[in-house]
Formats: sequence, C-alpha cells, structure tokens
Amino acid sequence: MVELKNVSVTYESTGVEALSDVSLKVEDGEFAFVIGRSGAGKSTLIKLLLKELDANSGEVYVNGYSLTNMKKRKIPEFRRTIGVVFQDYRLIDTLTVYENIAFVLRVIDAPRKLIRKRVPYVMSLVGLQDKADCYPSELSGGEQQRCALARALVNDPALLIADEPTGNVDPELAYELVELLQGINACGTTILMVTHAHEMVRHFGGRIINISEGEVVFDEVIGGAEVEAE
Amino acid sequence: MKLSSFQYLVGQGFDNVWKNRVMAFASFCVLLVSLLLVGISVLFYVNVNAIIGGIEDKNEAIIYLLDDTTQERVAEIGDTLEMMDNVSSVSFYSREEAFNDLKGKMSDSAEIFDSLRDDNPLPDAYRIRVADISRMDDTIAAAERIPDVEYVSSPDSFIELLTETRRVVTIIASAIIIAMLIVSMVIISNTTRASVFSRRREISIMQSVGATKSFIRFPFFIEGMINGFMAGVFATLLTWFGYDSLVKLLGKFSVLSTIGLGNIIPYKRIYLIVMLAYIIAGSLIGAFGSVLSTRVHLKYRAANM
Repeated sequence: MVELKNVSVTYESTGVEALSDVSLKVEDGEFAFVIGRSGAGKSTLIKLLLKELDANSGEVYVNGYSLTNMKKRKIPEFRRTIGVVFQDYRLIDTLTVYENIAFVLRVIDAPRKLIRKRVPYVMSLVGLQDKADCYPSELSGGEQQRCALARALVNDPALLIADEPTGNVDPELAYELVELLQGINACGTTILMVTHAHEMVRHFGGRIINISEGEVVFDEVIGGAEVEAE
Repeated sequence: MKLSSFQYLVGQGFDNVWKNRVMAFASFCVLLVSLLLVGISVLFYVNVNAIIGGIEDKNEAIIYLLDDTTQERVAEIGDTLEMMDNVSSVSFYSREEAFNDLKGKMSDSAEIFDSLRDDNPLPDAYRIRVADISRMDDTIAAAERIPDVEYVSSPDSFIELLTETRRVVTIIASAIIIAMLIVSMVIISNTTRASVFSRRREISIMQSVGATKSFIRFPFFIEGMINGFMAGVFATLLTWFGYDSLVKLLGKFSVLSTIGLGNIIPYKRIYLIVMLAYIIAGSLIGAFGSVLSTRVHLKYRAANM
C-alpha cells in the first residue's frame, strides 16, 4: 500500500515546489497510472516513494514503512520490498542479463538454489530465456526494458513502480509491456506506472492519477477502450 | 553475510579488475609509482645510515695509562672502563703490542726499535668503542677523569662530522619520505575517486535495488586490494632489479669502499622485508583507498539525493 498525507516537496537549490500538499492512497493489489506533463512532479513522486528524497512536510507510507523518519540503515531493507523499472533501464553494463536479474537476489542474501530457480522463471516470464548470457549492450531497447522488468519482479515485490517504462520502446511493444504488467498485477502485485502516453492510458483505462504543477488534479477510475467498445 | 554472498562478492571484486581494466591499470600505475617513491626514499635513508654506521664502527678512542701504573691498577682501570655507560667494548693494548705494531709500520727503522727493546717508551693502553658516537665527548671526559689515565686520543673532528652528517641525512630523508607519502596519498585518493566516480551509475543501481553500503563497498575493497597487491609485487621486482644493478655498479669502483660505500646493505639481506612491506602497504592502501573513496561517494550521493 502507498499513502501520502499532505506531502509537499520543495527543492532547496532552485526553490521550486515540486509537490504541493499531495494526498493519495493506492491500495494493495491496485494498478494505477500516474500521468502528467514534464515537470509536473511525477519523478519527484517516484523519488519520494523510493526514499531517494525526503518530503518537507507531510507523511509517506509505503509497504507498511513510514518513510518520514526512516533511519538510513533501514533504507536498503525497505527498498527490497519494491521493484522499480526505470525509463533508462538502469542495467549494469558489465553484468549479463542473468546476472543483472540475479543481482537483486544476491543483495538479499538469497540461497543459490532459489537464484537458480527464480531467475530463469522471471526471464521466461518476460520472454528473455534465450538471452541469459547477453550483455545489456547486446539487447534491443525492448529487450533491455524487459530485462529491467524481470529484475524488478525477481524478488516478488509487493509494489512495482514503473517510471515511463514505455518511453523508449515502439508503440506495439509498449502495449505488450502494459499487458504484461496487468498480468503481474493480476497475481497480486500493486503497480504504479508513471507515463505521459495519454493515448495508451485511455486505451487500457483503470485508475488514473493526474499530477499537474505539483498537485493531484484528477484521481478517478476510467473505462478503457474495450469497456467503451462494449 | 552468507558464505555464498561472500564468495560472490570476492568473485565480483576479481571480475571488476578485468571489466574496469583501464581504471584498474591507472590505479595500479599510481600505486606502483607511489610505492617506489616511498620505498626508494626509505632504502636510501637506511643505506646512508648503514654507511655512516659502518664508518662509526671503525672509530675508537685510545686510553693511555701512566708509565708506572701497576698491573693490578691496569686491570682495575679496565674494569672501570667496561662499567662505563656509553662504552660498548674494551680491549687491552699492551705496550709490547704497541711497540711491535709501531715497529711493523716503520720497518725501515727496525734497528732503532731493536735498540729500544729493553727500554720501551710506549705506555699500556685500552681501546674502547662507544655505543652512541654523539656522546663520545662525554665518554672521553669521563675516561680522562680516571686516576692513572695519562690522556685519551680520539678523532674529535671526524666524529663531529659524522654526527652532523647523520643529523642532516635524517632530516632530509624524513622530509623526502613525508613529502612522498603525502604526494602518494593525494594521487592515490584522486585516482580511486575517479575510478569510483566512473562507476557511479552502477553504484546508484545497486542502491536502488536495496544493496547495503557494505555490499556495495566490498567488491571495491577486493578490487583495490588486488591492484595494490599487484603494484606491491611489481614494486618489489623493480626495486630488486634497480637496487642490484646499482650495487653491482658501485662494486666496480673499489675506491668507493674506502669512503664507506662498501657498507651498502645487499638486497638478499633485506628482500623479504622489502617484499612484505611493498605488498602489505600496497594491498592496504589499495583496499582502504577504494573503500574510502566509495564511502565518500556514497555519502555525497546521500547528501545530494
């Protein structure tokens, strides 16, 4: 579960108020799109949820952790409950696909047996079973994004945050990726997907949170293209 | 940390040396040069000290006794000298021995010495060596105060020169060693920081998936240790080659041994300590330099997130 209560964030260096008195709640098992124009505050929201940034005021709760006064040594433990897919993939160039995905499990001291079982499973889930020994530079943009998704999923996180996951892939692949995320959501993972692909959001429908100039200006569930067609 | 994780991280450290070979090579070179700078400075100092020490060892004072000193009294004076604070060795130099030595040195005038045999004008004496040459004056003064001692002979000006030389060499060598250490630390710190900075993306990814600081730092520690170890090994080999070549070269000039250069310490006598010092210092500087730079980077990142 994700909950923000009257959260405001102002960047000290520029004095820009990135989030202003934002309150929202995403329940366990939900799938929500976070939309908004560049500079609206979407990235700030993600940084806040990953504890890469602290709010100036208000309270933030993620997966049962209160991020407001979280001690530094608790941060790694907290981050292990979240899977993140970044727009620029953020894969480690010197590790193979298999190693990039397995890395998350090694971080949590997972047994070798589990790593050997779990990594091939998530690779097959995203269709990368034949690319295990490839390095990120040898993959296409879509494959890198799927590798990043597999890495985010491998430790079975309660919350998956996808930051513009379709930003660097062609439209067809983008739709496939959202369908994949919907399938993962159907298994119980809460998903928060940040995007500015409004067309695609309208197509899939669901909960839409629109952020504009640091405020939540729209937060409702809308029907997708299939619902409208019916 | 589980054994499997430990093995994984050690493996990562080794892999990273190859994967980041350009930066690893830069760190290796900087460490090698730093170790050589400091190592050569230390060896220079140690050898200068050995040369001076060798010259000092040849120094002795001679305590001449009065002509009519009884054998009993001569023995007592010997005991007194042995009990003196700064005296490291005492040997009796009898008037007969002195006479024969002088005769040997002046063989052209052997007839004169033969005529004097029954009336040897030389006194009995003691040869003493001192432990601390800088306190030679005090020791001589104390010896002169012993009853029945006629006078004490010692190369005063030479001792002063040696003491002064040692003092100047110590100051210069210490300054060089400290300067080299500072320069080395600055270069090493900057190189490892550059190495860590070039991998900031990797570090940020590790953090975003929940890696602890120690998990991030450990491969850097291993990587730095490997670089440092290799630098230590190469520094040992280069020093060995350079040192031996220099000793062989100096050995060709026999005249140099007369000014004490014969006292240069042979490499085989010090190779073990040189090797251990290079390898241990290299490994520790490499490992902790890397960890310190990673630590600074993580702190900086945390403060600027």
